[in-house]
Order: sequence, then structure tokens, then C-alpha cells
Amino acid sequence: MTRFAKLLVLTAVTAAVAAVSPWPALAVDHTKGQPGFCATGTGVTVVVDFQQLGGTTIVRCFPQGTRGTGLDALKGAGFQVAGVARWGESFICRVENRPSAVEELPIKGREHYRESCVDTPPGAGYWSYWHAGNNCPWTYSQWGVKNRDFTQGGFEGWSFSLNATADSNPVPRIAPVRPGTSGQPCVAVVEPPPDSDDPNAKQPSPPVPAAPVPDGRGAAPVPTSTAGAPVPVPTGASAPTSAAALTSDPAGRVLPPPVPRSGSAAPQTADPAQNVAYTGGENAADVNQVVKEQSGASDYAPWVAGAAVVLLAAATWLTARRRRRARDA
Amino acid sequence: MGGARTTYFLPRDLHPGAWWLWALGLAVAASRTTNPWLLLTILAVVGYVVVARRTDAPWAMAFRLYLVLGAVIVFFRVFFRLVFGGAEGSTIVLRLPEIPLPEWAAGIRLLGDVSAESLLGGFYDGLRLATMVVCLGAANALANPKRLLKAMPSALYEAGTAVIVALSVFPQLAESALRVRRARKLRGGTGDKRFHALRAIVIPVLADALDRSLRLAASMDSRGYGRAGTVRARTRLITGALMVVGLIGVCVGVYATLDGTTPRFLAAPVLIGGLVVALIGFRAAGARVHRSRYRPGRWSLAEIVVAASGVGVAVVLFATSSVDPTNLNPSLIVLSWPMLSWPPLAGVLLGVLPAFLSPPPEPPFAAALDVPGPQIEKVPA
Repeated sequence: MTRFAKLLVLTAVTAAVAAVSPWPALAVDHTKGQPGFCATGTGVTVVVDFQQLGGTTIVRCFPQGTRGTGLDALKGAGFQVAGVARWGESFICRVENRPSAVEELPIKGREHYRESCVDTPPGAGYWSYWHAGNNCPWTYSQWGVKNRDFTQGGFEGWSFSLNATADSNPVPRIAPVRPGTSGQPCVAVVEPPPDSDDPNAKQPSPPVPAAPVPDGRGAAPVPTSTAGAPVPVPTGASAPTSAAALTSDPAGRVLPPPVPRSGSAAPQTADPAQNVAYTGGENAADVNQVVKEQSGASDYAPWVAGAAVVLLAAATWLTARRRRRARDA
Repeated sequence: MGGARTTYFLPRDLHPGAWWLWALGLAVAASRTTNPWLLLTILAVVGYVVVARRTDAPWAMAFRLYLVLGAVIVFFRVFFRLVFGGAEGSTIVLRLPEIPLPEWAAGIRLLGDVSAESLLGGFYDGLRLATMVVCLGAANALANPKRLLKAMPSALYEAGTAVIVALSVFPQLAESALRVRRARKLRGGTGDKRFHALRAIVIPVLADALDRSLRLAASMDSRGYGRAGTVRARTRLITGALMVVGLIGVCVGVYATLDGTTPRFLAAPVLIGGLVVALIGFRAAGARVHRSRYRPGRWSLAEIVVAASGVGVAVVLFATSSVDPTNLNPSLIVLSWPMLSWPPLAGVLLGVLPAFLSPPPEPPFAAALDVPGPQIEKVPA
């Protein structure tokens, strides 16, 4: 009896916890952000360039006038992202389900690599993280996505880096220039590089009322100490220190934790005329639908699993009772 | 044909190795997934097989304690997510006041916002560990540790003795606790104060466990276990070192094989190297231990069926996780019902076969399972 009850309770807990959750949104969450560039200096424009993964670049605006992290901007603009199981959303592993779990990445030296987003992605295939002020060159972020605040009126860029080196990380192919502001002076905020090993260090900024301090994964304090480390780092330089052994470059070298550096950014602001074609993500496919098709999931399988659990639990209970009676008799 | 069937289903105790293989297969399968549908199915399968095929022995009755242990694991995983900052994700379900911590505790957060994603993450993770623990509990409930010791190859003699004694401690304690509690109930001692009740249970249980292990040690000693015989000290040292190093290598290799996040050079190379070293050690050890065996445990068709069903579950989950990792580790970034595809579910359900395709345990339970029990003569196992 107790076992049966316990199983029922377990099932009920799953159901209850899952039922609390809202039904997932579409691929690009159209309730968040706006398609295209931000029209004014309020908010931040987020550019997602799939580069060699293929797919049309998406530009969306996160029109929030108050302070927020790079992650807030990315998610607030409506992009659907996935972190890695190990670090959570401190490390962006997928944007709009790319690279998907069934997609083979042509990473040199690791044939048939597929991104499962369990551990830190390899240095030869990850989402590089950029930022820029309006009319300024793109800058490779020295900070993790949760450790820096976006620039009001500026740009956040995500560009998939495949088989690139620290010097050849691909810059997002959209010029960080809001329409109609071409020719205005660059108003970049110079970001000092991280100077400590504290993974939760925040990029220094003018005193503002405290924003919620982002954090790594709660239940595991030790990994947390590296979880928020400066996140997408250039090829070969693996992000969190403790993960260094796991993401070495193809030559097997393990590079030290992220160090401040300069010069990997594009030297000058690109010309908006050279922008690649982009959309506001209006027609992006439903990520959940795509994932479901890719994984061969069935609508009925969970029901069958649930029925099997209930049936087996009932059978367990009946058998246990019959045997107890037989023993007592 | 009918005769063969009757013989096959004659009530008997299966070879303990078969049950261990079956349970380890299910545990390995559970370690590959955090999908709650699969994990709950594994739990249900294990529970049913245990109830259908366990005997009345003390170790068999400890299964419910493993279930309690599993529930405790799940509870603590979720609880820790609650206490140490469960703000990973955007669906905040609970807002708690955050307790500020000093500078040196950077990276740790106490309370604060709790998101559904982090709670679910803790639940999935805890459920996986709990399922693995329950699988081991099932092996302990179904396999007779004494017969397991008997079935150990003579090379594994020393290591095996220690492992089996260690494995049977928990079930023995559980059985002691049950017995002491029953005795107290019979004496009408339930109305006491809490503290007194604790003392009245814990002390007899510990005393009982100590008594029993002393008795076990004495009986093993009298049967010649742990005797070094006439081997030179140096040979013994080399053999022991080889075996310990080999076993450590096997442990590291198995861990690395099962945990997909460890570096690959720790997986197959270390596993194979450890196996080779251990085998050399076993050969050397086996050569000097001479034991005769009374009625050795047979490995017949039923054992093969049981072991194959467990190994099959593990193989299916390994195969599907390399083909399609999406559903085995449901993403928690976008909250939704975890999805499930057919192959892993079918694979997990393979594990229930021993409940139908293995001979029932020996009487007195045969009567309850509609098998003519008492009149059947005992078959040597």
C-alpha cells in the first residue's frame, strides 16, 4: 500500500510541478521585444547571426529603458535560448534551437560532433558574444552574459563561431548602426576587462539601484563558483576554469581562463550598406515543434508511460497484498 | 514442450548474478536520462519485479527502505534548490527574502527568488539518483548475498568477501530495526515518549548488528575465509597490489564511461587497462586459492533471460542517447511537459520481463502465485 501511495504521490508531484508551468511560447516569443532595430535610443538591439550554421540573421529590439544584463536583453528581445546543463543560462548553448541536438557540426578534429548542451561547448563551435555602442565597432565581450549590462541605445551581438581562432571570431554581419543615425559619433562605454576571478563579479557601472544579482546554479555551490565566469570566450580559451580540461582546442592544448585582451574586434564600424539580409524573426519556426519533430517524440508516449506506471503500481499493490495474505494465512 | 515449461517455471532462487546484472542494467539506464517519464517507469518496473519475485528473507524486506531513501534524496535535491538560490530560469514561482552573505561567500546565494525551472531541475536530478539507488535496492532484495558469495570466482575471493559483507549491512540493519520494532509493539511499548522510544530502538538495533557481524566473522573464519594459506608474503603483496590497482582502474573507467562529461581518455583506456591489471591479479590470486564448491549455482535459461532484459534496457538507452539526446535530458529553458519518444520507453519496459519470464521464488510464496508449491520437490539451484 505504501509503495503504491508513494508512486502515486511521485506522479502527482510531477504533474503538479509541470502543471504550474505555462505553455511554452513560440520560437521567437512575439510577446517580448519587437522585430527589427530599436527605433530610439531606449532599449537595446539584439543581433543573432547564425553564420555558418545557415539561416537568416535575426534582429530584434529589447525596448527596456532600465538596466539589465545581456541575458535579459537576449531573452527580453524574444529569442529562445538554451543554456548548458552544467552552467545553466550562464553559458548560452543554443539560440533559436541552433545548433540543434540532431545537427552535426563540422568541427575540425571532432567528427560527427553534435551539441547536446550538457557541458561547455567546444571552443571550435559556440555562440560568441559581442556588444557595441551605436555607430561603434563590435567588441568581443570580456564579460559573461550575466555579468555585464547592455548599453542603452546600443547593440548586443550573437555570432556563431565555427572553427575560428581568437583572432578570427566572426563579427555579426549587421553593422551596429540604428537606422537614421548613420554618421553620428560613436558613444561607446568602455568596459574594463574583468580583474578578478570572482565569477559573479559585475562589470563596474555607475551606481544604479541594485539589479537582481544573477547567479549560477544554486544546489551546487562549488560549480557555481565558476558558473558565471565570463561566458563565451574565444576559440580554445575555455570559459570556466574548472571546465578548462574539457574544452581544449583541437590541438589538445588547454588554455588558461579568460584573460583581458584587445584587438579581436573589427577595427572599424562596418558600413550598414554591407549588412546581410535579416528578418525580425516574424516567421521563425516554433522551436518546440521543431525539437519535437527532430527528436521523434510522440504525443502518446507520455500517456503510455503514465498508464504503464499506474498499471505496474496497481499490479505491485495487488501482488504485495496477495503475498501478505498468503504469508499470514 | 509443456514439460519444458513446467521445469522452467519450477519455483527456485535464481542465480544472484542474474539479478545483479538486471538491476545494474536498469541503474545504468537511469543514469543516462533525466526524463521523469522514463525514470518513473523504471521505478514502477523495479517495484513490480521486486514484489513479484522476492523471497521472505531479511534482505528482501529492506526494499521499502531504499524507496524511503530515494524519496529523501528527491526531497533534499529540491529543498537545496530552494535554499541555495533557485533563480535559474525565468518562471518565478516563489519569492523569498534573500539573505545577504558576506564577501567571502561569493557565488553562494541564500533563498531569494525560486524559479520553476530550478525546482524541476532539482527534481529531475534527484529522481535520477533516487532511481539508481532503488535499482541497487532491488538487486539487494532479489539476490541472495550468501549465494552471491558462493558464486564468486575464487580469484575474486578476498575483494568479493569484503564487498558482500558491506552490501548486506544495510539490509541486515533494516531487518534488525523491523524486528526490534515488532518486539516493542508486542510488549506494548509504543506509548512511550519519543526520546525513550529512540533509545529503545537504536540501542538494540546497534547491539544486534554488532552481535551479528561478530557471529558472521566467526563463522566465516571457521570456514576458512580470509586465510592466506602457505603463500609467501611477497607474492601476496604483489597480487594484492595488482588487484587493488586494477579495481581502482575499473571503477574510474566505469565512472567515466557512465558520466558523459568526464574526459574520454578516462573512459575506455582506463577501463580496459584496469581490467587487464585486475585480471592478472585475479589469475595470480586464483592460482593460490583452492576451494571446492558444494552444488555450484547454475546459470540456466531463466538467468540468461533475466540478465538479458536488464542489459537490454541499458543498451537501448545508450543507443537512443547517441541517436537522439533531446528527450533523454529534457530542456528546462522553456518550461513544458517533458517529451518522450517510443524507443527509450519500449526499452525501459523490457525490464519488466523477469516478473513474468522468471521462475517464482521458492515456497511459501509459490502458493500465492498459483503455482503448486509444497508438493514440488526441491530442485538444486
